[in-house]
Amino acid sequence: MNSIIEIKDLSFSYDHEEPKKVLDQVNLTIDQGQWVALIGHNGSGKSTLAKLIDGLLTPTTGTITVAGQTLSEETVWEIRDHIGMVFQNPDNQFIGADVAGDVAFGLENRGVPYEEMHLRVKEALKAVNMEKFAAHEPVRLSGGQKQRVAIAGVLALRPQIVIFDESTSMLDPKGRQEIVALMRRLNKEEGFTVISITHDIDEASLADRIIVLDDGKVIADDAPAKIFSRGNELFKIGLDVPYPERLKHELAHLGVQVPKKYLTEKEMVDWLCQYVLKK
Amino acid sequence: MSHTYQVGTPLEEVAVKEVSFEIKNQSFTAIVGHTGSGKSTLLQHLNGLLKPTSGYLTINGHKITPETKNKELGDLRQEVGFVFQFPEAQLFEETVLKDIAFAPKNFGKSEAEALEIAREKAKLVKLPEAVLERSPFELSGGQMRRVAIAGILAMSPKILVLDEPTAGLDPVGRFEMMELFKQLHQKEGLTIILVTHQMNDVANYADHVLVMEEGQLIADTTSKELFSDPSWLKAHHLSLPQTTDFAYQLQQRGISFETLPLTEHELARFLAPKLNQRGKIDG
Ligand SMILES: Nc1ncnc2c1ncn2[C@@H]1O[C@H](COP(=O)(O)OP(=O)(O)O)[C@@H](O)[C@H]1O
Ligand SMILES: Nc1ncnc2c1ncn2[C@@H]1O[C@H](COP(=O)(O)OP(=O)(O)O)[C@@H](O)[C@H]1O
Ligand SMILES: [Mg+2]
Ligand SMILES: [Mg+2]
Repeated sequence: MNSIIEIKDLSFSYDHEEPKKVLDQVNLTIDQGQWVALIGHNGSGKSTLAKLIDGLLTPTTGTITVAGQTLSEETVWEIRDHIGMVFQNPDNQFIGADVAGDVAFGLENRGVPYEEMHLRVKEALKAVNMEKFAAHEPVRLSGGQKQRVAIAGVLALRPQIVIFDESTSMLDPKGRQEIVALMRRLNKEEGFTVISITHDIDEASLADRIIVLDDGKVIADDAPAKIFSRGNELFKIGLDVPYPERLKHELAHLGVQVPKKYLTEKEMVDWLCQYVLKK
Repeated sequence: MSHTYQVGTPLEEVAVKEVSFEIKNQSFTAIVGHTGSGKSTLLQHLNGLLKPTSGYLTINGHKITPETKNKELGDLRQEVGFVFQFPEAQLFEETVLKDIAFAPKNFGKSEAEALEIAREKAKLVKLPEAVLERSPFELSGGQMRRVAIAGILAMSPKILVLDEPTAGLDPVGRFEMMELFKQLHQKEGLTIILVTHQMNDVANYADHVLVMEEGQLIADTTSKELFSDPSWLKAHHLSLPQTTDFAYQLQQRGISFETLPLTEHELARFLAPKLNQRGKIDG
C-alpha cells in the first residue's frame, strides 16, 4: 500500500510558555484508501491534529508529508487541494441561494471554468445522493441532508483525503446513519482515504483502523477488534466501548467467564444463545 | 394546545397540534421524537417564550392562553429555568463567576449576594474552584455548558427545562451531565423536563416519556412501558436503548424475557445465573 500521510515526531503547542504540549511526539503513517477513526476524550488533540494535517496550523517540531509532499509554506496550498474537511455543524457554512450554489462555491473561488464546475457539482451531489435537491434552499433541509450538502461541497474539489471532524455528533440518529453510510461508500466504492474523528464507537468500529489519542499522545493504534478487546483501558480514559464489551464487563462482575476476544453484536448473541439455550 | 408559526403567510406551519398532557411535580420527563417533530416548540411554551396559538397550558399555577400578555407571566421565567440547545453560545461575561451571577443580580440581589449564590451554584454543577475566575471561553465544551446551567440555577427555578443538553459532548461529558440532572432531581427536588435523542438516557434517568411525531403527541407513558414494545418503536422509526435492542435480538432467537431489560446491568443479572449454571465456559 502507498502511504498518503506520514507524520514524523510531530509536536505542537498553541502557547509556547505552556510546558505541556497539545500534541506530543506523534508518529503515524496512513495508507491511501484507508478508513481511519481517530478517537479520544474532548481536548485530547484530535482537531488540532486534523488542522495540522491540513496546514491550518504549523508544527512546533516534526514534519508532515501528504501525497509525497512535505508541508511547508510553499506546499501548503497544493496540499490543501488533496484534503477536504467536514465539520460538526454545517449550518453556519452555508453560502448561496440553493444547494447547487452552495456546492459550487469552493469551485467558483478557485476559478474553475463554468462547464467543468457544472459537471463537478452534479457529480458531487450524485455522490451524496442529493441530486434531486439541487434547486432547494439549504435552510429547508434536515440535519443529515445539510451535512450531505456540506460533504458534496468538499467532494466537488476532488480531494484524495476527507477528514470528518465530529461530523455526525450534532445529528439525530437518522441523520447520523445517513452520514456513516455515506462515509462507508466514499471509502469502499469511491476510494477516498477517510479520517473520521468521532465519539460514536459504532461509527469507529466500521473503520479499518482506530487511533486513540490521550492528552496529545497516540496510546493505541490498531484494528477495531484489537482496540475493543482492551475494553477496560478505554473505559478508564473516558471512552465508550461497543455494547457487547459493556455487557461482558457487567457479566464478568457477576462471576461469568467471558471470552477475551472482541465479539461483534451478532457474535455476542450467538455466544449467549449457545449457552443459554443449550439444554 | 397547538402552535402554528407564521399564521396567514405562505410559510404557515403547524408545529404542535392539539396536544394534552400533564407533568407531575418533581418528576423527570424526557421528550423524544425526530428532528422537526415539534419538541423545541413545545418546550418553549413551558416558560412562556412561545404562547399557544390555540388551547392553553398551566405551569406552576400560571395559566397561559393565546391572549396572555408577557407582563402577566409574573414569576414564571424565574420559576422555570430554560436551558437552550448549545447554551454555551450565550455566555458573555469576563469570568465564570460573573457569568453565573448575572441573573441573580438582574433579579435584584446585591453584587455580594449574587456572587455568593454563583459560588454555591458553581459547586452544585461541579465546576472546579480553579476555573471560577477564568474566562468561560477558555473552558472545555462540557464545562462551558455547566457554567450556562449554573447561571440558570442561580435564579433558583423549581422546574428545569433542557433542550438536547448532551448533544455534542463526549461520552464522559454526557454521562456526567446526566448524573448532574439526576442529582438536581433527587437532591434538590427539581422537576426536570428534557429533550433527547439518547434512548439509553431515557431508560436510565426518566420516569415519564412524551413522544412527539409531526407535531402530535403519540405516546405519554413510562420508559418501561415505552420500551416494552419494540415493534411500535420500530414502526415509528425510533430507536431502542442498546440493552433493550440487544435483548430483543436474544428474544427473537428464543431466549424469553418477562419484560425486556433497559440497562446492561439488568440484562447481565438475568443472564449470569443461566451462564454460570453451564459450568466452565470456553471462549
Ligand atoms: N485555538 C486554540 N488556542 C489555544 N488552545 C487551544 C486552541 N484550540 C484548542 N486548544 C487546546 O488544545 C487542546 C486540544 O484541543 P483540540 O485539538 O480541540 O481537542 P479535541 O478535538 O480532541 O477535543 C485542548 O486543551 C484545547 O483547550
Ligand atoms: N421560528 C420558526 N418559524 C417557522 N417554523 C418553525 C420555527 N421553528 C420551528 N419551525 C418548524 O416547526 C416544526 C417543528 O420544529 P421544532 O419544534 O424545532 O422541532 P424539533 O425540536 O422536534 O426538531 C419544524 O417543521 C420546523 O421547521
Ligand atoms: Mg475537536
Ligand atoms: Mg429541537
